[in-house]
Amino acid sequence: MNKYKMCVIPASPLENVQLLKDRVIFPYVCYRTFGESLRLVTKCTGDYPYLSYLEGADLVPLPEDQPHMEAAVRYLSGHAGEIDLLFLFGARGEYMELTRTYKSLRPDGIIYLKLDTNIDWANALPLSHKPFADFLRNCDIISCETRRLQSLLYKKWQRPVEYIPNGVYYPLYPGASDVRFEEKENIILTVGRLGDIQKNSLLLLYAYALAFPQFDEPWDLVMVGSVTPEFQADCEDFCRRFPPLAPHVHLTGNIADKHTLHQYYRRAKIFALPSRAEGGSPNVFSEAAVYGCTVVTTGVDAAPDMTDNGRVGRISPDIEDFDGFARELAAVCLDPAYLARNFHDMRTYIKEFFDYERLAARLQILVELQASKRRQK
Amino acid sequence: MRITITDTSIALDDGAKTFQLLEKPVFPYFHHNVTKKPFISSYYETVETIWGHCQTDMELLADACHSSPYYSCYALLFHRLFPLLLSSSQVKNVIAYDPLTDCGAYRVFQKFMRFLEEDSALTALPQSPYAFTLLKEGSCHAFLYCLDALPSLPAVCDAISKVKPGGLVLLYTIRDPLPAELEELCAMGEKDSFGSCTVYAFTVDETLSAFARENGSAHVICSRAEEVLKRAGDLQNLISSMLSDTPLPGDAYFIAVLILQQTEEILLSLYDYLEDDGLPVHANVLKESVLNYYVGTSRQCDLTSYRKKLTQSSELFFAAIEREFQ
Repeated sequence: MNKYKMCVIPASPLENVQLLKDRVIFPYVCYRTFGESLRLVTKCTGDYPYLSYLEGADLVPLPEDQPHMEAAVRYLSGHAGEIDLLFLFGARGEYMELTRTYKSLRPDGIIYLKLDTNIDWANALPLSHKPFADFLRNCDIISCETRRLQSLLYKKWQRPVEYIPNGVYYPLYPGASDVRFEEKENIILTVGRLGDIQKNSLLLLYAYALAFPQFDEPWDLVMVGSVTPEFQADCEDFCRRFPPLAPHVHLTGNIADKHTLHQYYRRAKIFALPSRAEGGSPNVFSEAAVYGCTVVTTGVDAAPDMTDNGRVGRISPDIEDFDGFARELAAVCLDPAYLARNFHDMRTYIKEFFDYERLAARLQILVELQASKRRQK
Repeated sequence: MRITITDTSIALDDGAKTFQLLEKPVFPYFHHNVTKKPFISSYYETVETIWGHCQTDMELLADACHSSPYYSCYALLFHRLFPLLLSSSQVKNVIAYDPLTDCGAYRVFQKFMRFLEEDSALTALPQSPYAFTLLKEGSCHAFLYCLDALPSLPAVCDAISKVKPGGLVLLYTIRDPLPAELEELCAMGEKDSFGSCTVYAFTVDETLSAFARENGSAHVICSRAEEVLKRAGDLQNLISSMLSDTPLPGDAYFIAVLILQQTEEILLSLYDYLEDDGLPVHANVLKESVLNYYVGTSRQCDLTSYRKKLTQSSELFFAAIEREFQ
């Protein structure tokens, strides 16, 4: 199979933390799998210490004195010949000029667009705006992160859209290989911007309170992430109203250190995702699944994918249903045999269907087929 | 661009060149006209004549449409339509598919048609893939079709099939060049051009009808359905070989994926006609399962889950294909 010169151009300047997120990590794994080279073309927003994790990738800084996309288009105009596969992230209007330029210079080049969107965003895209429709048409391969969205996009766009979820790059989780269920504790973990309206943290807090009397052994609720002042106040109020629960509820604050964060996943048996909506399949889900946590989630777009339609996790469909979420929580907390079995099932499932190396191998074939079609023309 | 109207002729004129649209006949008796209205009258000066109406209506057309990019197209349409309208005393049924503009040209045409035969009708269709389905085959005398609204050969052929033998099909466009799929058809017609406007005129005969049957959407749907079934048959063999661990040539998985990609594209091209609009997604999910199975095989992974997903997605796909096409 061929090796490709790859290039990532984000719609806005990259930040260091994004180097280890799907927008960069998946192209990076593709580069490791079937790339000759990988360039990350961006205006710099500071230092990039995480670049050390991406051996072989080149960061190409764009000039500081130009707007990001303008500089990116200029860069592409001069270097299109050196780019066989262009990675784009997000169905963003910023890409309209970029894709037009690339296709005019490299009609044989391949554009892969990873949508990173949910149904609400997809419904708001200006499909009747010709330059935007042309941008989508110029993308040779488009993928979305959830099956539910995939079905919708087939109906809306009437074009192929691949399902490639946000996955896991195992070398970034060196501690995940030796995790054992026996080491896990009765912890219900959640990770996210606590109090953010999208994260719906209050649902988890009160569902935990509703489930608590049913527990036959103590379970702690550990909430990791930055906390809004409103949620801090809600939490304090909660502890005042339910004093027996107060010692079991822990707000850790934001944890930037990956190793420390992974220790929480390692210890928790259950990962709770009470979100109202997510951008695609959330990264925290993949991280939790790598460590064998059983997922209890609301019916976000990715819920059926994260749980293999309820096989390796539980779904409480209604995002405002406190009783429903509590019921699912209690059910798994009261079923240690399921949790033990699911520890393995979840890890196997994530390895088989969310491993970025396997997903990249899948994309490689799609790219190869696209390239061979071009060669035939 | 303007329409020049004199006592004896009506022409399109852009300053550099002219196109003669209509000419007042030299003799008072105009043998193509069998309507009750006189074309011109040398007997009763007060009687409304066809020629007089032409002059008035062309003025109306100019007033209404002079700023439309299709202005010359409408004038050329009238030039072609005119002999047909005068050719028999039957009530005329004309269909128009022109959802792009509404400058009033069709109202002018209709006014003229009703002057000739009171019950004649010009019906403008909405822009929709279903616009033609309610029309009976061979039910109209002329079909005015804007190619820029729907430049699709099957749709044009469907339009042709709605016209009576001897009737007129007028395709018009302001775009150049024609879509490749329409070139063969348009080469069969007579071409009038002025400025950026072009009209292709066809009289419906056996040759044109046969072409329309061969290329109409019913035929295209049937032939694409056959292609889907053929590919589904090939896939069924390939996938059952994969699942039964039959040794396969190295490129078998690529071929399966390629066939599925083609199937997906054909299904998407039939999307508006599918009973089960989830079929293209089923094809994609099966493609994904084949790819996963291949990746699992090449990496020597445990294939249990991949095999299960491949079995499930193939069963779902083939059952859906059977329901849809057999």
